[in-house]
Amino acid sequence: MSTPGTAISSSQAMATITAAARIMYPHDALPDDVYARVGERLAEAARSDSGTARMIRDGVAALNGGQTFAGLPADEQLKVLKGIEGSDFFELVRSTAVAQVYSDQRTWQLVGYEGPSFGKGGYINRGFNDLGWLPDPEAAS
Amino acid sequence: MSLRPDGRRPAHRFAADDPDVIVVVGSGAGGGTLASELCRNGAKVVLLEAGKHYQPEDFINDEWASLNQLAWLDERTTSGSWRIAREFPHLPAWTCKAVGGTTVHWAGCCPRFKDWEFRIRSEHGPIDGASLLDWPIGLSDLEPYYDKAEYRMGVTRTNGIPAPPANNNFKVMGNGARRAGYTGVSTGRMAFNTVPRDGRPATIQDGFNYQGDKQRAHWSTLTAEIPKAEKTGRLDLRPESMAIRIEHGKSGTVTGVVYADAEGNERRQRARAVCVACNAIETARLLLNSASPLFPDGLANSSGQVGRNYMRHVTGAVFATFDKPVRMYRGETMAGIVTDESRNDPGRGFVGGYYLELHSLGPSFLANFLSPRAWGREFAAIMEQYDHMAGMFLVGEDLPRESNQVTLNRDVVDQFGQPVPNVHVDDHPNDAAMREHGYAAGESVYHAVGATATFRVPPYPASHNLGTARMSAQPEDGVVNEFGRAHDVPNLFVSDGSVMTTGAAANPTLTIVALALRQAGHIEREMKAGAL
Repeated sequence: MSTPGTAISSSQAMATITAAARIMYPHDALPDDVYARVGERLAEAARSDSGTARMIRDGVAALNGGQTFAGLPADEQLKVLKGIEGSDFFELVRSTAVAQVYSDQRTWQLVGYEGPSFGKGGYINRGFNDLGWLPDPEAAS
Repeated sequence: MSLRPDGRRPAHRFAADDPDVIVVVGSGAGGGTLASELCRNGAKVVLLEAGKHYQPEDFINDEWASLNQLAWLDERTTSGSWRIAREFPHLPAWTCKAVGGTTVHWAGCCPRFKDWEFRIRSEHGPIDGASLLDWPIGLSDLEPYYDKAEYRMGVTRTNGIPAPPANNNFKVMGNGARRAGYTGVSTGRMAFNTVPRDGRPATIQDGFNYQGDKQRAHWSTLTAEIPKAEKTGRLDLRPESMAIRIEHGKSGTVTGVVYADAEGNERRQRARAVCVACNAIETARLLLNSASPLFPDGLANSSGQVGRNYMRHVTGAVFATFDKPVRMYRGETMAGIVTDESRNDPGRGFVGGYYLELHSLGPSFLANFLSPRAWGREFAAIMEQYDHMAGMFLVGEDLPRESNQVTLNRDVVDQFGQPVPNVHVDDHPNDAAMREHGYAAGESVYHAVGATATFRVPPYPASHNLGTARMSAQPEDGVVNEFGRAHDVPNLFVSDGSVMTTGAAANPTLTIVALALRQAGHIEREMKAGAL
């Protein structure tokens, strides 16, 4: 018997969640590690709440009921996830993924967001008004 | 009151049984301003604040980390047909739990209410499913206090204070609005410094407003009001002090406030008068949780109106993508406004008005709010256009309804054993019609400057929470009188947006501050007259 925490951090559970998170928020240029963080967050949640641990363990088991989820082609993975959309397990993984993936600095770099700015003096001298394809609307009026 | 070198607070300035103290509960726009004004005019004030006392240097330029630091995340429940009950069932409102209240998180937008917005029952006549009521005061009563509030807060375009410069996001919205035929287009009246003023610097356009203002360029009670009150020697600020109930004597006048301190110990502070300013949800909850044999339905609730008529504005957002970069996150978040739709023109299919206001989110919150629960390749592709995206916020008048209500959920208790608030909302059809009109208006603005796609974003948990202890001329119609004094209790005041009879289209902070200044004058006169 394993404790809930070790069940969640098993390599199959982590691989399953990593693959599911990438299908949910697919950015091809991002490394797997961005999505692996989703599994780490869920493992943390499982360690502090046994109900969450059970939900994740059961959800991962269901995704791997037929074949190994992480080994399926992407379109098959998508089909499987659509089949469980709206379930508590799906929503737990999705809500964790959306928070984690879009708060990762590698994602910010990909989508063109510069992150914390106060320490860099804000944007007063770094382009807060550098948009050049439209005029200043008040000066134009 | 500053911290000792060892980081501990000094002992309380005023004794628990001091008979002269006015207790203000809540240190945000209403309570923080009221406490400051009372202290500066000679009164002794104990200011109870549930949240911690952060300083601007403690704030975090990161959306999730900041939310976890500043937001009011205590348990709440929701019901009703509004989307929030499905999408954010435990977070009906996005307000702050910190010294400074929700002023630490606001963007600074300061429109005044219009004359007709104080009397919409007369303006519109009766409307099915709405509990319209005229305010007991009008614009002319509040104008001197608007003047005072704008000076105090350093609102741009007033008192000779320079206008904010156009940032990238405003170049898109502003040009689009002009091309779409709008004329009331500007960078707005904003409560942040465009030049150094009142001991605070000019904005460095760092783009973080909802996360607390590390720059100190924005007016807030944390940085502008409370420090001045502390200099008087008459403010006793008690952070991490959560009011549990208000107590009264046999005659029905209030005698003090029971609160839980940082260690969870119950304490009692005697009060000459009590001013409640906990933001609309917690204000109603505190009054209801203060029920007693003399006031069985809750304090100040003989009308049954406490908690009712909860308003949170008609809101929504429109984002759009463009072929060329925008970088909406650079610069002051809300420094842009279109005022044309703020008129009352029932020909549009709804009564009341709304504003289009500049708005941006970082990727963390945009992904969460853009289309709640969305996922998949199409969504990810939209997010990859983040730096080519512009955004605006819609804010308009929602109609009060008796059944839109804050009640006590006796099945769920908080860390102090108190019933948590349940927030019930069903949108009025007028609200839904206004929101649809606003979405179409926002889309027309962005299409006028070549948007490649536009996105209608549903309301977030509200930062504007109003109306649960409304002002009324007649005691049976509301909870407080024109000065915010409870109809039922002569030394109990409500001092936040809860008192708003109706909510108008304008962002509420300027009006909350003006009302607090007017109330402070009233309390001083009453004390001088020996009535308090």
